[in-house]
Amino acid sequence: MRSHSVFSCLLGTLLLAPLPAPALSAEASVNIASPADGAKLDAMEQAKLVYKVVAGPHGDHVHVYVDNKEVGILRKLEGSYTLETLAVGAHTICVKVVNKAHVPIGVEKCIKVSVE
Amino acid sequence: MDAQNFAYALTQVIHNFGAAAVVGGAGAAIYMRPPDPLRERALAWLVGIAWAVQIGSGALFGAISFYYYGRFPDISGIATAALFVKAIGAGLGVLLIVIYLLRAAYWTEARRKQVWHGLIGLGIIALTAAAFLRWFS
Repeated sequence: MRSHSVFSCLLGTLLLAPLPAPALSAEASVNIASPADGAKLDAMEQAKLVYKVVAGPHGDHVHVYVDNKEVGILRKLEGSYTLETLAVGAHTICVKVVNKAHVPIGVEKCIKVSVE
Repeated sequence: MDAQNFAYALTQVIHNFGAAAVVGGAGAAIYMRPPDPLRERALAWLVGIAWAVQIGSGALFGAISFYYYGRFPDISGIATAALFVKAIGAGLGVLLIVIYLLRAAYWTEARRKQVWHGLIGLGIIALTAAAFLRWFS
């Protein structure tokens, strides 16, 4: 019973202790080298996303999104990822740092591209 | 030690032991020699509690994420399907155990074994789904 109480207190303390996430994720960063923000892409060619990520103390890997739809999980923190052919029109591409539980930690980079 | 990672790790410990108990408990009941309804009943309580622990610790993962980041894990596709399979498996596991605890006294040994096979099957399915949930999103 005593050990149960100690365990409950420990877990309760962990969950109740205030710990602002933004301060802890300050070291994390995302850089998208290519395509450039506002770039015009050819509809007939696959676009290659070139990125570099610093995961920070709570980040683990990154998720890639096109128009808010997850399209890839990247475990390499620096490299490139070939996007599936995008439909003609404007699109938003985002790279978000997530933790081991796949929760976005608030560090992301988004660019807008236009496919013609 | 970082509190956030510690919270996730502690929850993972609970979740892992729960997973071991749902499969191990059912396996122990299946291979128990000679069959002993009283010991099987004790195992049923263990497995039932373990399934409940799985549900609780699974929810706790989400709660920790929400506490620290104000949102739940960003999963889709295969991972969403895997989470659905795990949740259904856990729900069925609890249901089967409740039925077992209420009715097993009136069952034949063969019927009890059938239920234990069902329970171990649910455990294996849930463990398999957990791997897909972990590595896909």
